[in-house]
Amino acid sequence: MQTLIEQVAQGARLDECRAQSALFRLLARTLEYEVDEAFLSHLRNDLLEALAEAGAELPEDMLSGPSDALFEKLAVEYTALFVQPGAISPYASVFETGSMFQEQCDRAARWYQENGFVFKHRYSGEFPDHVGTMLSFVAALFEREAQALEAGEEGNAEEIRQSRERFLIEELGSWAPGWAKLAAQAAQHPFYERMLGLVERVLWDELTQVVPPRRMRELTEKNSRGPTVIKKDPGFRKASGL
Amino acid sequence: MNKHFPMSRRGFLKLGGSTAAVASALGASRLEAMEQELGGKDFSPVTGKLREAVPYTCLVCNIEDGGIAYVEDGRIVKLEGNPDHPGNRGKLCAKGNSGFLHTYDPDRIMTPLLRTGKRGEGKWKRISYDEATTMLAAKLREVIDRSVKANDPAIRNEIVFKWGRNRTGGAIQRLMGAMGSSAMVGHTNICESSKKIGLEPSWGPDIESADFQNTKYALIFGGNVTETAYFHNPNAQRLVDGVVGNKAKLVYFDPRHANTAKIADEWFAPYPGTDGAVALAMANVIMNEKLYDDAFIRTWTNVTPEQLTAHLKSYTPEFAEAESGIAAKDIRRIAREFATTKPATTFSYRGPCKHVYGSYQEAAIHMLNVITGNVEKKGGYCLPRGMGYGQPGPKPAGGKAASILGAPPTYPLAGHQVSTHMPYQLMKGDAKCSVLMTYYDNGAYTYPSSHVWEALLKDEKLIPFYCSFSPYMSENAELADLIIPDTTYLERWDPESMPSDLRPWLGIRQPVIKPLGNTQEWRMTAIQVAAKLDPDGSLGIKQYLNFKDGEEWVRAQFDGIPGLKEDGGFDYLKKNGVWPKYGKIDPVTGQIVDKNGDEVPADYGLHMKELSAAAMEGTTVEANGAIKKGGKTVGVRINGKNHAGFGTGSGKIEIYKEGWKKYGFNPMPVYKRLPSRDKKADELVLITFKVNVHTQSRTASVKYLAELYHKNPAWINPKTAAAKGIADGDLIRVTSTVGYIVTRAHVTEGIHPDVVAISTACGHNSYGRLAQLKMKEKPADYMLGGDADIDNNVWWDDKGVHPNPIIKLSVDPIGGSQGWYDTVVTVSKAQPTDKYGDVKASVEASMKDYEETLRLAYTGDLHKANHKEVDIDWAHLPELKAGGGH
Ligand code: SF4
Repeated sequence: MQTLIEQVAQGARLDECRAQSALFRLLARTLEYEVDEAFLSHLRNDLLEALAEAGAELPEDMLSGPSDALFEKLAVEYTALFVQPGAISPYASVFETGSMFQEQCDRAARWYQENGFVFKHRYSGEFPDHVGTMLSFVAALFEREAQALEAGEEGNAEEIRQSRERFLIEELGSWAPGWAKLAAQAAQHPFYERMLGLVERVLWDELTQVVPPRRMRELTEKNSRGPTVIKKDPGFRKASGL
Repeated sequence: MNKHFPMSRRGFLKLGGSTAAVASALGASRLEAMEQELGGKDFSPVTGKLREAVPYTCLVCNIEDGGIAYVEDGRIVKLEGNPDHPGNRGKLCAKGNSGFLHTYDPDRIMTPLLRTGKRGEGKWKRISYDEATTMLAAKLREVIDRSVKANDPAIRNEIVFKWGRNRTGGAIQRLMGAMGSSAMVGHTNICESSKKIGLEPSWGPDIESADFQNTKYALIFGGNVTETAYFHNPNAQRLVDGVVGNKAKLVYFDPRHANTAKIADEWFAPYPGTDGAVALAMANVIMNEKLYDDAFIRTWTNVTPEQLTAHLKSYTPEFAEAESGIAAKDIRRIAREFATTKPATTFSYRGPCKHVYGSYQEAAIHMLNVITGNVEKKGGYCLPRGMGYGQPGPKPAGGKAASILGAPPTYPLAGHQVSTHMPYQLMKGDAKCSVLMTYYDNGAYTYPSSHVWEALLKDEKLIPFYCSFSPYMSENAELADLIIPDTTYLERWDPESMPSDLRPWLGIRQPVIKPLGNTQEWRMTAIQVAAKLDPDGSLGIKQYLNFKDGEEWVRAQFDGIPGLKEDGGFDYLKKNGVWPKYGKIDPVTGQIVDKNGDEVPADYGLHMKELSAAAMEGTTVEANGAIKKGGKTVGVRINGKNHAGFGTGSGKIEIYKEGWKKYGFNPMPVYKRLPSRDKKADELVLITFKVNVHTQSRTASVKYLAELYHKNPAWINPKTAAAKGIADGDLIRVTSTVGYIVTRAHVTEGIHPDVVAISTACGHNSYGRLAQLKMKEKPADYMLGGDADIDNNVWWDDKGVHPNPIIKLSVDPIGGSQGWYDTVVTVSKAQPTDKYGDVKASVEASMKDYEETLRLAYTGDLHKANHKEVDIDWAHLPELKAGGGH
């Protein structure tokens, strides 16, 4: 039998999980695909105020008016940011190794599989280590945790929580906030700039909750570093060219 | 010293020192150097697990070497040479080894892109392959509907296909043929087409297989065998086998001291475009001093030694010295050595043929082998051995109307098209284009006066719709309306064969991994487009592309190859990559050996092979001995015997080319002095060259290769530089009549004093951030696109300067080849406002070059003046006919 306090605490956790799940889903949706009719309508209506409060106010040109030209504009921005050559590649593999489809991809796919998900692409050139897909996985785990809590499966909920935190730290923690910061700088439309800023903040916020301060320093450093630097030996340089 | 080890360290060392002398005689240890292993398998260094090994055919460059891809967790982790491959014998070059970086390049185009802004503005929207193929099909359908409605097949030629590297085994031609368009333009005229045209009418095939490995004397003209040229990796191995293993003498002619010069016994730097004069003078010596093979000339050619001697009379070594700068005494000596050392062979590549009248130069070099009887001899100058594969039936009949783009009538002998002319023909309104498709093609970077291609592609009136199949954002692709990206070569199906060894082989290119991220190989795109273009089959197009996928298509191409089926057919190729298996590589000699360790011999004397009774059935024999079947020469009768002969009309080697004379060209190999030979004293001839770790254009985005070579300063001789006040590393301006570039000087004795040499492969304006070195220009972090590897590990800040914009269009009127090495330039210290990398080039000047080069064509006003010696009725040259060629 739960005490009243426990019940309240569990209710709060349940609510938080649901809220977090929705937030991560929103961020994932923004990053995985271009804005379409349905998404725009949510942004304009149900999410308008909350977005503004979260510091990602919907830009002027998205508030009203005919949408075809707007979709086109946003699709072009989306492609320039995340798809075409020269874009901010949204893949963990590229960010961490400089090549597409590396180990990061396998690890992400394994996480999904172990938790009963399969990765399905809509367009060609999509991989499991897409930052948006990884955020949607976090969202799914929050939702599962909420369901477990609702069903009173405390142990199950705890397991899911641990899993989610581990995924967040191990697969996103060392690069995704740093990536989001760069991507926000590159964005030319305020919608993406603000949403990417939000991604960065949300990720840091979440990480702060789950990572001890000592580790946080390490993560901060990792998010602003690349792979090992080759020693810039002048002899090596000379041998490599005329 | 202690009681357990009574010997001092000194004592040990002394024993070691004494043993060193006899160490190799002590016999083998159980440990062997890894390199002694033949390859063919590989292990993960982390788990020790055997990696999946999938054979494939390389296509980083065009030599089509056999490779094995090692795959771990569905990812290519390493490429290696296929030890069963007779061509490359288990080895890949640096380009081949790095090829998988193409696949995982973060700047690869992974999904179709539709242009949304102005052409070239860089604004795109991603779409699916389904949407993209629907869109392309609709554009093609519009042209075909118009053609049907007007009952005019010529309208279909408004569908234009331009390719660079086409290794589809005829798939592009099949698609175009099915649609009824003849407007297919390959890239060969910027490659080696005048070599092909110098050779084909002479003896049939378009290239020689120089048997370097078994030769005693190799004479190489303008073909950097150890680094690039044709059969790069296979020929480099064989040349080293010949020079080191067989103690062959190597004499190398090249205005630039390329690496092949380093292993040569003698290096000569002729004035560009004069190799032909040297070869003709050598032939003159060989004929005059009676060092020729009398029987071979009389039996196997269509000229006599007397005719040849008379023809060569004016080509004295002194004449050649005056033209080439190579001393007459050296020409004489080398001619004698070449004629008296057996076996001997020449090899030539782009050096001699990439000039106006390059076809003559190639024919002259070829002749040296003929008059010395080195043709088809072990260690000599052999016919290339390839294996054929066709397209499966039913086969489309092809376009009904000839296309001026596909076969310009002013170049009737140029059997490999004149692709450089395409933009000018369209700009002048000589041809029309409604839909342009390009495959492995980057004209706006790789062509002479490349800015003209850029101007063409930007012009929406001339090119209303442009679809590129490039998986990289090349200079061309940037200007496309739609990009439907192909996969890289490691993810698709193609049939292959290349005469890179004297033992013929057939190879397969197969996906070593599933197309990355569900991208789609070009064959699938073609199949889908055809199905959408002709959904009910009523246009008669779909039936020719009715394949399930690329695999089914290529499988059908391999069906019916004699002998392959018995060995396991297509599945054998999938498993082994190459067929047949001649033996295995000897790890010490690198040769292919049989079970007893003996080298598997090649067949020589192919022209001597006697035709079987079955082959003779239904043939007729003409007065000159040519054996004909269905209008084609299938052999030649000599002294009552029916031989396979050569692939010419007479079945013999045709040193005298009647077909050339018909259009007013000299039927014999001759030397024509080029305008570049008459340049002013302070001018230089600009030549370009390829380097060993790059292709012309595509590899600039490959990290390993870009790190090895990324900048291309202009090679200039110290004397020349000093006269112009230029020091090594100085900023210089190189100016032609087309425009100028600002680059840096590399002062070196390895270049002819009248020449400035600049390599290709550098100075991209597109092709991804690495090729463009964008992150160095714009230091903002986000420009790195998250590729921290590039951020941290790209230590160079110089991407080089591409010379093509200032290279003049000038075409050999016979072979139709671009004269890459005919541009005259001035080189001076840069002006105060000049910046490294500045390029200025004028479309108007290039248009003038086009008009000027047409004057050399058989219809042009300079043709007769340049061929006064040709005795024909100049008033009655053949009429212009589209679709000429041969
Ligand atoms: S020469 Fe090099 S790049 Fe060309 S096919 Fe051979 S291995 Fe590949």
